[in-house]
Amino acid sequence: MSIHAPGRVLLHQIPLKFVHDRVAGGGRKGVDVAIALVPFIDFLITLVVFLLTSFSASGELLAQRPNLVMPEAANVIDLEIAPIIAIDPQVITLDNRRMADTQTLAASAQLERIEQLVTDLETLKRNWSVLHPREPFSGTVILQADRNVDFRVVKKVMFSAAQAGYTNISFAVNQGAGGGGGE
Amino acid sequence: MGGVSVEGGHGGKKSVDSEIPLVPFIDLLLCCIMFLLVTAVWNKLARIETNQQQPGQNAPMDQPQEEQIRLFVHVSPTGYVLSDTAGVRIQIDKAGDVYDQEGLREKLRDRRQQEPNRRDLIVTADDGVVYEDIVSAMDIVVGEGYEDMSLTPPQM
Repeated sequence: MSIHAPGRVLLHQIPLKFVHDRVAGGGRKGVDVAIALVPFIDFLITLVVFLLTSFSASGELLAQRPNLVMPEAANVIDLEIAPIIAIDPQVITLDNRRMADTQTLAASAQLERIEQLVTDLETLKRNWSVLHPREPFSGTVILQADRNVDFRVVKKVMFSAAQAGYTNISFAVNQGAGGGGGE
Repeated sequence: MGGVSVEGGHGGKKSVDSEIPLVPFIDLLLCCIMFLLVTAVWNKLARIETNQQQPGQNAPMDQPQEEQIRLFVHVSPTGYVLSDTAGVRIQIDKAGDVYDQEGLREKLRDRRQQEPNRRDLIVTADDGVVYEDIVSAMDIVVGEGYEDMSLTPPQM
């Protein structure tokens, strides 16, 4: 038997002529396509670099709420772990626990304590002192308020926080153009 | 597979042809992308820091308190008022329904030239002022270098 150069062999015993024709070309364009690996890797590297630049270690400390639109600011610093008081158009919450009604507080001009808020903040302060006996208490609370809330409501929340020993208020904002966020 | 072909490998020496294993490399990149996508934060949240103490409130009791001129930015429904305890009072009226932020920025810049070392400022606001306008004022104040900012209601 003479030796000859091997041609394309595709399971001769199975009569799949259309497959044979297609793989062999059959007068049309072949289906063998090489994946262009270099552009693919370039694309992946670009994606990784983009995601790395937008990575934020502290972003998940505070979640956006659907019914609360925060104001924008540019001269800001990074978030830190602290109790979160949220003021939306309906309710005031401390770490997602309802404290008071926003409308009720907005209706009254008198500067009054929010008793539930003061009690819960005092509890948090006591817990913090037990958990961190050697660290000084910073007295920081994060205020996440809707941008259209009346200052009267914010004032009452700040007053209640001060009564509970939280005198440092951090206002949560959406970081606008030219923001720092470096501290 | 990708490869790097370099002339050599003759004369009994080890060949310098080497193949970069592309498949594990692509796997690594895909894992990185998955991790970064899961942990990605698309809206950047941050904070403006203030306190409710007036400057000098924390001074020790045994030391005589130095008479200090306090600087205020008051946000009222009609506009901003830049004032101090020495009697200066500058009204920056609203332009229509919008607060004149550029005007406040200019006045604070002028004040900065008079007192380049001052870092404390007290922001106050009236009832009825919208929270967003107070945050804008605080943003301008911090941007002009008054980083020891306090926010107190006028009667507190």
